[in-house]
Amino acid sequence: MTEVAIVTEKLTRRFGSLTAVDGVDMQVTAGQFFGFLGPNGAGKSTTIKMLTGLLAPTSGRMQLLGIDFAERPVEVKRQIGVVPEGMGLFDRLNGAEYLRFVGQMYGLDRKTTLQRSEELLEFMQLADRPKTLIADYSHGMQKKLALAAAVIHGPRILFLDEPFEGVDALAAGALKALLARMTERGVTIFLTSHVLEIVERLCSHVAIIHKGRLVAQGSLDELRRGVPGEVGTQTLEDIFLSIVGQDGGARPQLEELTWLT
Amino acid sequence: MADVTASQSVFAQVKLIAGLRWRILRNSMRRKSSRLDLIGLIVSAVFASIFVVGLCGAFFAGGYEFFSRGRDAWMALLFWAIFLIWQLFPFFVAGFGASLEFRTMLRFPLRLSAFYIIGLAYGLADFSAIACTLWLLALTAGAATARPSILPVMLVASLIFLLMNVTIERLLGSWLERLLARRRTRELFLGLFVLSMISLQFVAPFVERHGKTLRPIVERLIPYFAFLPPSLAGRGVAGAAQHDVVAALVGFAGLIAYLLFFSVFLWLRFASQYCGEELSETAAPQRVAKRSAVEFADASDALTALPPSVAAVVRKEFRYLLRNGFSFITLLIPPLMVLFFTTRFSDQRHVNRPNLTPEMFFPGMMAYLVLILLAPAYNAFAYESRGIQTYFTAPVRFRDILLGKNLLLISVLFLELAVSIAVFAFRVGLPSLPRFLATLAAVVFVTVGQLAIANWSSLSFPRKLEFGQMRNQRQSGMAVLLVFGVQITLAALSTFIFLAGKWTGNVWLPLEAFSFLAAAAIAGYVASLDPLSRLAETKRETLIEALCR
Repeated sequence: MTEVAIVTEKLTRRFGSLTAVDGVDMQVTAGQFFGFLGPNGAGKSTTIKMLTGLLAPTSGRMQLLGIDFAERPVEVKRQIGVVPEGMGLFDRLNGAEYLRFVGQMYGLDRKTTLQRSEELLEFMQLADRPKTLIADYSHGMQKKLALAAAVIHGPRILFLDEPFEGVDALAAGALKALLARMTERGVTIFLTSHVLEIVERLCSHVAIIHKGRLVAQGSLDELRRGVPGEVGTQTLEDIFLSIVGQDGGARPQLEELTWLT
Repeated sequence: MADVTASQSVFAQVKLIAGLRWRILRNSMRRKSSRLDLIGLIVSAVFASIFVVGLCGAFFAGGYEFFSRGRDAWMALLFWAIFLIWQLFPFFVAGFGASLEFRTMLRFPLRLSAFYIIGLAYGLADFSAIACTLWLLALTAGAATARPSILPVMLVASLIFLLMNVTIERLLGSWLERLLARRRTRELFLGLFVLSMISLQFVAPFVERHGKTLRPIVERLIPYFAFLPPSLAGRGVAGAAQHDVVAALVGFAGLIAYLLFFSVFLWLRFASQYCGEELSETAAPQRVAKRSAVEFADASDALTALPPSVAAVVRKEFRYLLRNGFSFITLLIPPLMVLFFTTRFSDQRHVNRPNLTPEMFFPGMMAYLVLILLAPAYNAFAYESRGIQTYFTAPVRFRDILLGKNLLLISVLFLELAVSIAVFAFRVGLPSLPRFLATLAAVVFVTVGQLAIANWSSLSFPRKLEFGQMRNQRQSGMAVLLVFGVQITLAALSTFIFLAGKWTGNVWLPLEAFSFLAAAAIAGYVASLDPLSRLAETKRETLIEALCR
């Protein structure tokens, strides 16, 4: 039987009168590379924050690896790794210190923490500046360190909010290979990105959220079948625009900028 | 081809930037949603206005007095006062943050001349510049009231003096900006500033002791001040008033020479900024030899008795303390304050204040130190910034994080108190044993008793603070009120207990009472950790929103 990694039932979050996430029912199977898409302000970040314990839902349920998040949050957090929006780094530590801190917070023993932090720093090409504080890292370096911290404890689910933003092509290639290997070993990866080409290349399954509601979910092939046109030729961008752009507000009309075009 | 068909005049560009600056100021006022912040802003504005208007009166009176009594040469003193405030005030206020917004204007198609004039105009919009301009006008008005014929000379002198001051201020500001562009320099500068502020406490005792020796040295230096701009301005005005053409010419020519001299340097500074001077925070990567895992290991392993997550927070807090110049320097304050007060105390004890004994002074001194050292605990997450998210995504209960933070604070506090007690004992001796032990028990009670409240305050009223900056670095108004309320209540209670010992004639009564209260405070603190952990979960959105801005 296929193991389910993430299940949400009627997941809702309201901010005053605004419903940012509205009754989302979602299911992600273990080992899937799952892309979570949506236009700006659709509710992606709110959903990922709820799934990682950074935000409490107004109503609804979340289960990760069969464990109810509301009932056993600490147990759930042991199983997941997160690169949150803004990366969540302590910028007055250096890279090695931060990884050791995170390793200890996840309950790794000292020796394992040291060994893994060293390996991860090497892999992420951050080992050549051991004394540099995170505050002095470039954006791309901070992103790589946040990714290293998210995987140091060997999570079974990895939540990545825009993981490749600001990362150079060389490092991005290595990271993609690492993530692909992780999914082969059964790790579930839940990824949000605005770069649809990356999602299309990496993800086997996709969900699209629009105005707080989940408007599509399935494998890329399943989504392609629901879109007009010759099956197999549609890109993820076509699918995305077809679903999200149905209300006519998705793509601003170029005709309005005649002075520019 | 872009649609820009005509380049704007310098005046139009300056007007545009002035409008931008006004809108930024107006919108920043709008953002002050908190009532306490708004009240603070209004109170500061009222005090600043009183200060400026009051000194306007003083400068008017000074100008009037000097000219009506024929003491024209004394005008240099007033020019000196304006010069020092103009140059020193922005240096202290603006020096602590990287103020790069002016440079962002470079993305627009500005000519270098426009960039230079806008730079000067920026300098004239500072608080110190506005205040000093008003004081120059008041000085001119005062002098002209006493002797109307001096008005044109005063206007010319004030205009040249104003231009020279704004040029020097912008030049120093520009150099300072370059110097402080790097984080480390900025933090070091702040540390030195705090240290110099502490050192100022020792100036009065130093002058009292060595004043007679210093006087002839200062008197020998005074003639050289005659060649500096404020003295030249004073000489020019006085010369014109006394129809001494040579003195007037020397004064004004010297002032203009200074203006041109500094203008050349400012032009060169702005030119290098205009050409895209690099002030990047990020240094170029340097490859270093690979380090082994042994080198990566923490130096100390003394925290193994603690749960790993608590130990991790203690280590992280310790590193943050060492890397936060401001917090680290404040660690020097308690022993220095003890040294300062005991110096004053030991000087006065046998002369004017025979009743001030270590019996009274020791508990008061300890209470003062606890007040200084515990105040940051009321906003304990201030420097976490985005790192606060890690606490909520990690599989730990928040009590571990509070415990780790409190453990380091208590360790530092008791270390500081130990050093301070040693200084105190060395300078004035210790109080009697019952008073000494009672004070220590009181310190435990007051410290632990406050921690639970401080933790609640940190979770409920968080306010982000930046390393190495003083500008806009304010605690939450509620946290400040809480600090004072709690500290005053605990101080009043402790004083009452000490006095009860005196009234009853039982010298051991305060020790017994404080020991009981300390035990109760420890029990209360332990009991508070779980409810506070639950509160943290409830308040996580407030915390993340406040600290991740």
